[in-house]
Amino acid sequence: MRDEEIDRVLGGEPDLRPSPGFEAAVMEAVHREATALPPIPFPWKRACPALAAAALVLVGSPILLVHSGAAAPLRFDALLPAAESLGAPWLALAAAATLGSLLLSRRFAAERY
Amino acid sequence: MSHDEDRETVRRVLAGDDDAFGRIVARWQGPLVSLAYRFTRDSGRAEDLAQDAFLRAYRTLGSWREDAAFSTWLFALALNLYRSELRRIPPRTVSIEDVGELRDGGAAAAAVDQSDRDRAVRAAVQVLPAKYREAMIVFYFHRSDVAVTARTLGIPEGTVKARLHRGRELLRRKLTR
Repeated sequence: MRDEEIDRVLGGEPDLRPSPGFEAAVMEAVHREATALPPIPFPWKRACPALAAAALVLVGSPILLVHSGAAAPLRFDALLPAAESLGAPWLALAAAATLGSLLLSRRFAAERY
Repeated sequence: MSHDEDRETVRRVLAGDDDAFGRIVARWQGPLVSLAYRFTRDSGRAEDLAQDAFLRAYRTLGSWREDAAFSTWLFALALNLYRSELRRIPPRTVSIEDVGELRDGGAAAAAVDQSDRDRAVRAAVQVLPAKYREAMIVFYFHRSDVAVTARTLGIPEGTVKARLHRGRELLRRKLTR
């Protein structure tokens, strides 16, 4: 088959006419979209204090424990074997995979909407 | 509809006149449905995809930069949507064995009716790898205009030409196998 033949077949294809109700159906969908309530935004104002408190507890508790003498100072070389016995590398991998899939799904959702 | 009219219509929609969007739909419904049909070969699905494209255009109308033609923006948006939707649910394709009747030369090929032959060529385009299929469909949809095809696909003109060349080569190979 020559290029001219391909050009003739693919270039000469007639356009498809939309069905009679198509324009009305699109405008109905547009009006529905226009009158729909906007999506509820994430309540950052309410969540921020709680997130800040959680972060404070996470960071502050070990410091307080160390300062009060209730726990020995943190030693990373001592923590490593314990972390390995708990399967920390696998946990980190799982967390990374979760984060990756979250980011991907957000990206696909953004692409669609 | 000229570039100025497109701009005026878009501004009216952005100002809250949703009915003005009807002018955009009336103007572009044919091309958007036709483009979708060339990807799907299913008129019902083509209309569904075109409707989704119009809705996405309505939602993101504010992102059209007026320095580019409205049609370029609209086709690129529609193509992105068609691409992701067709990846999600691939269109029904005719196997290349069914297209085998097309072989050049031989008594069987000579006997094949011209319209069957044309249909078979279009079916063969559907089974090309995505990047060649897209380039060929968009190129012929835009009446063989490489520059407009490149803008719609968002790739350089040289890449379009290379994909068309390779696409035709693959098509020929499929049809003469």
